[in-house]
Amino acid sequence: MSNINFGIDLGTTNSAIARYENGKITLYKNPVGFKDTLPSVVSFRKGRIQIGDKARELMLTQSDNVFASFKRKMGSDSTFTVPDWEKPLTPVDLSSMVLKELVNFTQPEQPKAAVITIPASFDTIQTNATKKAGYLAGFDEVVLLQEPIAACLAYSNSQSLDLTEVQHWLVYDFGGGTFDVALVRIDHRELKVLDHKGNNFLGGVDLDNLLVEKIICPKIEQATGQTQLWRRMLSGEEADCKKLYFELLFKAEEAKKELSIKTQTAIELDIPFWDAFLDIDLSRVELESVLRDKFEESYQLTEGLLSDNAMPFSAINRIILVGGTTYIPYIREQLGLRSGIPVDTHVDPTTAVVIGAAYYAGAKPMERKEVTAAPSTTPQNEPAVEIVFEPHSKDAEELIAVLIQSPFQGFYRLTRADGGFDTGVLRASSKITEFVPLLEKATNQFTLYLLDEHQNIVYQNTSIAITNGLYNIMGQPLPNDICLEVDEEAGKTFMERIFKKNDILPLKKTVYKTTSKNILKNSDEKLIINIVEGNAGGMIGSNLSIGYIEITGKKLPMDLIKGMDIELHFKISESRDLSVSVYIGALDLEINEVFNPHQRHVALDKVALEINAVIQEIETEMNDSEDEENFTYLAQLKRIKDHLIVLHQEALEGAFDQSTDRKYQLDEMKRLTIQAYDDLVRHKHVLLEIEEYNRTRETLESYLEVATPKQKEEFEKIIRNEKEVLQSNNKYMIRQKTKALDDLYDSIYMKQDQRFYNAFYYYRFLDENEYTDTQKFMKLVALGETAIERENIPELKAICYQLWDLLRVKPKSRDEWENFDGDLGLK
Amino acid sequence: MEALINQFFEIEKKSLEHQLPHFERNFNRIHHEFTEMGYKIVNPLGQPYDERDTALEANLMHPGAKKITKVLKPIIYREEANGYVLIQKGVVIVE
Repeated sequence: MSNINFGIDLGTTNSAIARYENGKITLYKNPVGFKDTLPSVVSFRKGRIQIGDKARELMLTQSDNVFASFKRKMGSDSTFTVPDWEKPLTPVDLSSMVLKELVNFTQPEQPKAAVITIPASFDTIQTNATKKAGYLAGFDEVVLLQEPIAACLAYSNSQSLDLTEVQHWLVYDFGGGTFDVALVRIDHRELKVLDHKGNNFLGGVDLDNLLVEKIICPKIEQATGQTQLWRRMLSGEEADCKKLYFELLFKAEEAKKELSIKTQTAIELDIPFWDAFLDIDLSRVELESVLRDKFEESYQLTEGLLSDNAMPFSAINRIILVGGTTYIPYIREQLGLRSGIPVDTHVDPTTAVVIGAAYYAGAKPMERKEVTAAPSTTPQNEPAVEIVFEPHSKDAEELIAVLIQSPFQGFYRLTRADGGFDTGVLRASSKITEFVPLLEKATNQFTLYLLDEHQNIVYQNTSIAITNGLYNIMGQPLPNDICLEVDEEAGKTFMERIFKKNDILPLKKTVYKTTSKNILKNSDEKLIINIVEGNAGGMIGSNLSIGYIEITGKKLPMDLIKGMDIELHFKISESRDLSVSVYIGALDLEINEVFNPHQRHVALDKVALEINAVIQEIETEMNDSEDEENFTYLAQLKRIKDHLIVLHQEALEGAFDQSTDRKYQLDEMKRLTIQAYDDLVRHKHVLLEIEEYNRTRETLESYLEVATPKQKEEFEKIIRNEKEVLQSNNKYMIRQKTKALDDLYDSIYMKQDQRFYNAFYYYRFLDENEYTDTQKFMKLVALGETAIERENIPELKAICYQLWDLLRVKPKSRDEWENFDGDLGLK
Repeated sequence: MEALINQFFEIEKKSLEHQLPHFERNFNRIHHEFTEMGYKIVNPLGQPYDERDTALEANLMHPGAKKITKVLKPIIYREEANGYVLIQKGVVIVE
């Protein structure tokens, strides 16, 4: 028989659900909005049922349709009349809706039993009413637990306290809307609420209002000359004042939180209707001045509780804090100071009750026979549903149509997986249509729920995915990749893809690069921006240059220094005009060029440079392949190389010919010849890059266990689109990925002591002639070995630095490798 | 990171309100960096209010409030393994 495991804090203002598993508590987040808690508020408006944050929004303007704080009326004969609803709703009905919404957080799990907390003040009728709400929400078994007991369990379990003597704890619960204090007796792990007191209308929300009324409003009045501001804001007669009230309430809450960690803060207010821009300073002392009376009220109730039970404060062993208001330092300090009792702040006071409930649930066996967890959809009752939607969209919203083919009585609900959209619960008809908003340039994943008359889920479909902007169904596709040539290392460049083949025109993109060499003012050095069309996985020279900008030293207003930022904005129109805008912030220099397919720019010196780079590459390839004795392959390479040598010579000579078409012919021949070389070697090179990538990844993985969580997250991020990159047939992309893994490996390695052991042994086994002082080298080696024996890392570190210092020729650091001078001046 | 984005949002808002257009390029650059880091920042100012939009905490001025007239905090999404996830709700005033 398994335990209940699920704990629920069904609060007056907020509720939450948590689970106990293997000694740990998991607090479930609301999949809509991703908060830990759910406001205990239900709204009914035009047939739409909303539970939580969206319902709470309507409280001020449409209070007739919104129900909150119904927990206070549990067990009473109060009912709530809802327009278009068959019968009035009871507090039990509303509570069950909140419970069902909490159960939705645990999807795909369907808890069948739960521990639900109740205030210490609940009588038998209220207690039974809460149980009934639990059964109505679909639980087969409900176990109730008093809130102060739950809080004590959270504190004692999280600290693994072993209490062998009788103790008395005070649970001081100052929440958003209510205050409760309870006296709990702990006797050998048995907890009992001896007595309690409370005020249902004393909470943190009152503090925000007091801060606005007593501190902020007088300051605004003083600065603007306005009068009676607080009264005018509440009367609602002036729209501007009402709007200001909402803003002040929000800013007061933010300031209150800030003043819990700082002694001073400020809020900025832009009030256009009074032509005022105010910077209002707020201090913790001011907050405390408005808080004092509220704290006094709570403290008097606490004192009263103890005197009713004839107990002095000295008989209390600790004070347990519950509720968000207890974050305020003043409350913690005053409580500790005036009572003389240690205040326990080990557990988050906003979730202490639900965590305690989950601990209790984790130890409480289920009494009813466990039913095998029912799947979220029961096939025999599952309605036949057809869902129609457009999977790709350019628009900000799309239509989802749902056709329910079998007879169905109940409700539906649509949510978006990122947490930003929820229709709420609506009555279903045989044909449902919803226009859903889409998140731009993202795949929007929706879930459709169908619920029966009791709002239990009978059907769920998570496969509704609508992609916005990433793909487009209208317009001309781009026939080839469009790439920017950038420096890879000294003498080598690669193509960085700007737009992908089959992207739909028009397109635009901004990329940020840095300069990779110094270009002095008035010098002949130049920055080259070369945009090519073709296959991003191929070689630069095999692609067609469609946009070419040279910025020489003569065009510069001042020196362009290596490392400066360059902003490049690319735009391709539907008629395939390419606009390039180059902006160098440090020089405030902007160059705009438009290229169209009828114009070709051929710079022969650039052509010569590209040919030369490929000739050198072919020579390396031939040397590397010599041992394989593949003579056909070698002959093919030689033929291409000879051809390129001829073209290279012609390019150098033709640089002076500005009148004939020869340079265009030469450029075309260069492109075709390099393409032939590329086709010959690409497959082999891609395979080599993949091997290198896999090797790097394997090494890194074996090292990940010592990585920080952030580094592990970075690793996941790098490998996220690994499959796509490895299958891209693009060696440059694979190489970039390998480099990213390499960089990560380095950053992990640099934080490990192991690096000093490795460095020491590296220096230790270098030839002694490589050091400027052999004797000193021997001495350092001896000291280093002793340091290793003693595991004295700081000493070993110092020795490594000294050995490095002694070297005649220093090994290149990674920074030096990366700090090359590029051919283009762009990386 | 949310605190940083909120401060950036405030600066951008102030610069727009005080018509200081020469920061536009810098703002675009910072937006680009946030996007590269996997954040999507949405400013819903001027948009019609949708009661189904759970990325917003709305202060409704009256029962028929329809348009977002003030944004006190922007909406922030972060890219995770399975797509975007809401990490900060926008706080708005709707009139």
